[in-house]
Amino acid sequence: MSNHKTFRKGGIHPVSNKNASRIIELLPLPMKAILPLSQHIGTPAKAVVAKGQAVVRGQVVAENASFVSSGIHSPITGTVTAIEPMVNPQGKPGMAIVITASHEQHEADEIARCEYWAKLVPGESDRTLSEKTSQDEIRSAIAAAGIVGLGGAAFPTRVKLSLKPEQHPEILIINGCECEPYLMCDDSLMCTYPGRVVEGVELMMKAAGIDRAVIAVEDNKPEAAKALVDALDTAYDIKVEILKTKYPQGGEKQLIEAVTGRRVGSGELPISVGVVVHNVATAFAVWQAVATSMPLIERVVTVTGDIATEQRRNYIAAIGTPLSEFPFTLPDEARVVVGGPMMGKTATRLDAPVTKGTSGITVLGQTRRRPVQACIRCGACMDACPMGLEPYLLSTYGRMQMWAEARSAMVADCLECGACSYSCPSSRPLLDYIRLAKQRIRK
Amino acid sequence: MELFLFTVCILGILGLVGALVLWLTAEKFKVEEDPRIDLVEACLAGANCGGCGLAGCRAFAVKCVEQGSLDGLSCPSSGSDALARIASILGVEAPEEKMRNVAVVRCNGSCASRPRKYVYDGAQTCAIMDGAGVGTTGCSFGCLGCGDCVQVCIFDAIIIDKATGLPVVDTDLCTGCGACVKECPRNIVELRPLGRRERRVWVGCSNRDKGAVARKECSAACIGCGKCMRTCPFGAISVSDNLAYVNPEMCRACGKCLPVCPTGAILASFEVKLPKAETNEQSQNI
Amino acid sequence: MTQLVFSPSPHVHTPRTTRGVMLNVLLALLPATACALWYFGLPALEVLLLSVGTCVFTEWFVTKYMLGRPNTIGDFSAIVTGVLLALCLPSSLPWWATVAGGMVSIGIAKMAFGGLGCNIFNPALVGRVFLLISFPVAMTSWPLPDPGFGDADGVTGPTVLELLKHGADSESFLRGEMLVGYMGGSMGEVFSLGLLAGFLYLWVMRIVKIHIPLAMILGLAVVDVFAGFPIGLDIISGGFLLGAFFMATDYVSSPMTARGMWVYGILIGIITAVIRRWGAYPEGVSFAILLMNGATPLINRYMRPRRFSPKRKEVGA
Repeated sequence: MSNHKTFRKGGIHPVSNKNASRIIELLPLPMKAILPLSQHIGTPAKAVVAKGQAVVRGQVVAENASFVSSGIHSPITGTVTAIEPMVNPQGKPGMAIVITASHEQHEADEIARCEYWAKLVPGESDRTLSEKTSQDEIRSAIAAAGIVGLGGAAFPTRVKLSLKPEQHPEILIINGCECEPYLMCDDSLMCTYPGRVVEGVELMMKAAGIDRAVIAVEDNKPEAAKALVDALDTAYDIKVEILKTKYPQGGEKQLIEAVTGRRVGSGELPISVGVVVHNVATAFAVWQAVATSMPLIERVVTVTGDIATEQRRNYIAAIGTPLSEFPFTLPDEARVVVGGPMMGKTATRLDAPVTKGTSGITVLGQTRRRPVQACIRCGACMDACPMGLEPYLLSTYGRMQMWAEARSAMVADCLECGACSYSCPSSRPLLDYIRLAKQRIRK
Repeated sequence: MELFLFTVCILGILGLVGALVLWLTAEKFKVEEDPRIDLVEACLAGANCGGCGLAGCRAFAVKCVEQGSLDGLSCPSSGSDALARIASILGVEAPEEKMRNVAVVRCNGSCASRPRKYVYDGAQTCAIMDGAGVGTTGCSFGCLGCGDCVQVCIFDAIIIDKATGLPVVDTDLCTGCGACVKECPRNIVELRPLGRRERRVWVGCSNRDKGAVARKECSAACIGCGKCMRTCPFGAISVSDNLAYVNPEMCRACGKCLPVCPTGAILASFEVKLPKAETNEQSQNI
Repeated sequence: MTQLVFSPSPHVHTPRTTRGVMLNVLLALLPATACALWYFGLPALEVLLLSVGTCVFTEWFVTKYMLGRPNTIGDFSAIVTGVLLALCLPSSLPWWATVAGGMVSIGIAKMAFGGLGCNIFNPALVGRVFLLISFPVAMTSWPLPDPGFGDADGVTGPTVLELLKHGADSESFLRGEMLVGYMGGSMGEVFSLGLLAGFLYLWVMRIVKIHIPLAMILGLAVVDVFAGFPIGLDIISGGFLLGAFFMATDYVSSPMTARGMWVYGILIGIITAVIRRWGAYPEGVSFAILLMNGATPLINRYMRPRRFSPKRKEVGA
């Protein structure tokens, strides 16, 4: 038994299936980029370009519409061909800016991009970067680059780092757990650019005014942990904490408990216990923004699942690239999940784009749910729930439309990790109804 | 015999004492209440459907009596007779008879006109399916067909037609309480007046996509062409967001808009005797 | 053209199924069952087959002709009930009594409440208690073990607990023989080591938790200490281990939280010991478990799991 720390309550151990290649490749830029205005939590961004306008790679095409919002940049050089509702991967329409490139522009972009990524070779780093740059400079660079949390929730990073001293931030936790099965984008990023990630963490510490940082990595990623440890600079109080693999370790409250032992109260934010949590990919994006002035127009996306071995890869893909541009062949019957299999949403429209929060594309083949059977009251869902809730009961409240009872049973605490539905031997759709109850009581 | 008498006496006394205690308790804890509340409640349908916007029939009765009139209150389930009786209990004028509302389904994407493209694998309710994706067809506005409206209807006025996969409202049973309107996650069900001689015309589509997009997913979709708007002699039809809407206040249910619709998206509660199929084909050729 | 499937998350599920759980329970009951056949021979086999057959048939019949529901015998829970019922009957029981017990177990204790997951009481125990009350003589004539698939020649003898009830000296029993089951008793309860092995298997497979058996032993021990009775003998005699390992741990009728399981187990242990020491019956496990089955909904209601974050910030009402 390892003595690595983890969160105490609940949790499951799904088969990890992290079997994609860790080598990150460049996915060719798309000829047509679709940029939804709402890629983040908060107010949709406001378009600042008009139809027919020419834009260059990295140019701002939409800006903050409110405090909790984020700007968007064009990943390609081309012309704005439309600003109209486009479908998201779930088939729901939402306003988006569509940019189309011509062939010459496309080639020039591609060359510039290859040179940029070639320059980011590991080892060649500027350790004085965070000393040279002031806190305000870092914050404004993050704001200008339109960085949002890249772990999946896509909360604007600028807002999360704008802390006041009276909030007493003590620890910055960098989430490198990647507890979702299948996904490997953070793992491959940490293995490939460990120095950049660490420098990004240093920059974030300065931006938030925090002296201490912990990079949390699960023990199923020893290579990533070792690479990070090797890249650490003794001038900063940054520690790499190896955690025992357990889902959902990457849940904010679970991660804080695993690392610090502190528990965030119900309905409260991590800052209430003096902690701020960011994703490793966000740290990398912060480094890109400060050191290379590169806005968030590309991210690492894992393509994996029940597809051929050589197709299971990690790509640097432009945000706005349609899912169909990724090279993978679907089985006869497939569930294309945007994100990981535990919390990701299934896609039915493959012409819809990758957004800032897309960490991966997981193709699942023969995975129909088993027929629903009666609850045998085995308590597996209660043992699995990381929030100490009673999923079997909440689910029944949801099915019977007993919203008041669901509320008093603290359904709002549910983080929708799916551990309950996963663990049910009777294949009951527990989370489906719990999510319904959550939506209803929010109304 | 003695034993028998003894038993009867003891039991009788016990019963009397019990009755006395109950009576005293009832007297002590009696809540003074306007007796009219019970009278009003007796007039109501007693379905507790929530169609009045209050928490049930009792709440409706209390509200009526408290404000002493029926202003701003209406019970869709009880009908005008009951409201007149309530008015007489309250000693006010009976409200003028309003036309009853019934639910209509603003989706006509049957299995034939709207091909099923995707398979859904999850809990069989519209609300959950809507949260998971677009539905089994490509239309992100149309009926999902799991029957949440059927479940919520306490009058059994809605059933899902197996052949079309769409809900059908029985207007004789529908009281217009609006429970289905609230339940439908896609806001497809609408309350519309029953209409004179039960003649109603409405647009059987909720798709706000551009015409070509909507048409690609469903051959019965409203494409927002505006032909109906131009045809309507009463100016009752408007088009916004690529979707036509028939204003029930202005519509006289003449049915002239039905044959001109190129996709047959306008529905009526009566037969429109015009060469519909031919017109349809012609407009498609244009 | 690929058929795309869409569904709410999560999109992967545990390989464990209800049927798998039941199969594991059957596997865990194998040592005790084999021992029952070894000691009691053909009559034991007859009881076992009749019991399982009746339970499965009753469930099929009720779902098909009385409830009009899809058939549920595929989840194997009726087989488990059948085996458990057989294991707590004497091998000499007449065939019609076994059949009646099976029908009561499934028909009344399980299906009348709504089938698997809805029953308040453990079906096998309801069947056993029904038989015990209806046919006390047949249910308390215990054939003596005759190793090697013999049929016990109709020789019957009292159980250890019956002897104790009638004032036998507790030191006069051979613990070693009792552990391997060489004593009078119902088919499945005699082989303590086999029951323990089966339970350990379920525990290692994380199918059941150890709380309930431990709590039951604790409860029993507390009363025994007060009564001045040898605890070890009390545990291995009668149906205590069969009840503790396989009856009280039944998912459906036992509490769901660890705290609830402790309360439930300790109370079963206490009630069992009280019946054994001071009650009219020599054995009380079945009654104790059934009583606490009835209290399970109450325990579930008050012994809620501990929340991750009990503080609740008041969000505007």
